[in-house]
Amino acid sequence: MDTSLFLVQLLNGVQYGLLLFLIASGLTLVFGVMGILNLAHGSMYMIGAYLAYYFTTLTDSFLLAFIISGTIALVIGIIIERCLIIHLYKRDHLDQVLLTVGLIFVFNATQSFVWGNDPLGVEVPEILSGSIKLTDIVEYPVYRLFISLLCLVVAATMYFTINKTRLGMMIRAGESDRAMVENLGVDISKLFTIVFAIGVFLASLAGIVSAPIVSLVPGMGEHVLISCFVVVVIGGLGSIKGAFVAALIVGIADTYASVLLPQISSMSIYLLMALILLVKPQGLFKN
Amino acid sequence: MSIFSNKSEKIFIYLFFAIGLFIPLFLEGNTFFINKFSTIIILAIFVMSLDYLVGRTGLITLGHAMFYGLGGYIFTILAPEYEAVNFWVYTFYVMLISGFIALIVGLIVLRTSGIYMIMITLALAQMSFYFFADSIEYGGQDGLFVYIKPETSIFGLNFLDLENETHFYYLCLLSLFNCFVFFKIIMNSSFGRVIDALKENPDRATALGYNIFHFRLIAYVLSSSLAAYAGYLFALQFGFVNPSMMSWDVSATALVMALLGGQGSIYGAIIGSFVYEGLHYFIEHLTEYWMFFMGALIIALVLTLKNGMAGFLNTLSGGKRS
Repeated sequence: MDTSLFLVQLLNGVQYGLLLFLIASGLTLVFGVMGILNLAHGSMYMIGAYLAYYFTTLTDSFLLAFIISGTIALVIGIIIERCLIIHLYKRDHLDQVLLTVGLIFVFNATQSFVWGNDPLGVEVPEILSGSIKLTDIVEYPVYRLFISLLCLVVAATMYFTINKTRLGMMIRAGESDRAMVENLGVDISKLFTIVFAIGVFLASLAGIVSAPIVSLVPGMGEHVLISCFVVVVIGGLGSIKGAFVAALIVGIADTYASVLLPQISSMSIYLLMALILLVKPQGLFKN
Repeated sequence: MSIFSNKSEKIFIYLFFAIGLFIPLFLEGNTFFINKFSTIIILAIFVMSLDYLVGRTGLITLGHAMFYGLGGYIFTILAPEYEAVNFWVYTFYVMLISGFIALIVGLIVLRTSGIYMIMITLALAQMSFYFFADSIEYGGQDGLFVYIKPETSIFGLNFLDLENETHFYYLCLLSLFNCFVFFKIIMNSSFGRVIDALKENPDRATALGYNIFHFRLIAYVLSSSLAAYAGYLFALQFGFVNPSMMSWDVSATALVMALLGGQGSIYGAIIGSFVYEGLHYFIEHLTEYWMFFMGALIIALVLTLKNGMAGFLNTLSGGKRS
């Protein structure tokens, strides 16, 4: 493999890793604060992508579609938390698994009812459709760089929000001692709604921005969800910093494996996970 | 001591197997329904093995379908392609090898618990899914085919012909019965008591000197090799295996069936499988989007029926909650 191809693969790996981080951070945030494992998290990624498709064809503007889909995702998040997840706080893990599996079924059926089972695609918005010359012969699409940049901005915003704002303080407090936070007069149910909606929004955001570079097929959510599990398990459940590092590791490992070891490429990240678990059963960044 | 834990279980088991024995006589020649029942019974064995693991030992796995698929693959890979092998000998092979794989997998996944275990079992099952889906020698996405069904002679006696649907149905029914009795005996043994204790309070069980890890590992291996047995029967019935047997939704659906029946009740697995598959069959005929209604049903179930159908039956027959 020559240097320019190596570089392109590295950029692809980082971009995929950052996208995974966007989804995994939502999953790990919801788990860290609320203790809920949302298996339907991947479905929100799928719904985001399909909404982006729907509104792009409707309004002819990706930006408009971006805003509308994001808002709808937030609303869906609030509704799910208020109507369903709220009943799960005092239940065991099994009930969480089953209820969110039920949600996956509902979302998948809705998707195939509204949009059918044929693969769909969204066009890359015109401003971002060009390519940048890396070397004389190798070009790299601007849109992929845009995704990486957007993900980095979101990561920085999350870092700032969690470490520097009042909401972030409540989130951190909720992670370490839920009962105490409640006793200190924080409206915990409101906090939970906000956190869950943010989680859903992050997954949908990933779906929306990746709509132009992936093909929209049924079951795309589950595939992403399982990759996110690998990220979260490697990074340590509940740790956003861990999710960031692990997502990059997984993204890069997955991209290089498909070039260097094509015969085991789809197994590679799971093997990586199994190896890390043997050394550190709690993940890399478990506090 | 009776093997039944309560009255409704006793009534249900007697009724189910009595009806099960005679049903082929009423369905004379209707192979569609006989096959359908065989399929659901195989599924019930799988769900029962999962129900033991989840409901009794409290270990929640989302990757049990890995062993279901492995059971089918082990048989298809081991058996010579154009030669009838002995069913009982291969039952032994399938369960032994899958038990050994479960031992290794168990050593990894049982180091964790709770949410972690759910995610890791799911990821490992997905890994084996990709292993078979990507492998050229094991048929990739299309899987492998079973060309010749095994013969079932034992000590020179041969009274089951697996090509015959009704005979195969009786083999499945017998397997389900054996599986039920096996789990009930285990539950009532001292091993089963320790398993109950460590689900109830792991710390106290440790304090009493039991090595939790070993007990969990044994339960995991037993349950997994029975799941593999169910997969083996599946491969025999349909004449093929493919990676989709291991996909996550097979595991998830089985969990739903176990809960529908009443988790940890063992006989509930039979109710759960039949009710779920019955509903599935019914709704599928009404609408192409049956998943929507199944999903809504699952959500409603989790929010309302805490002890499943078994708990409901038990309340009906005036028993205490178990």
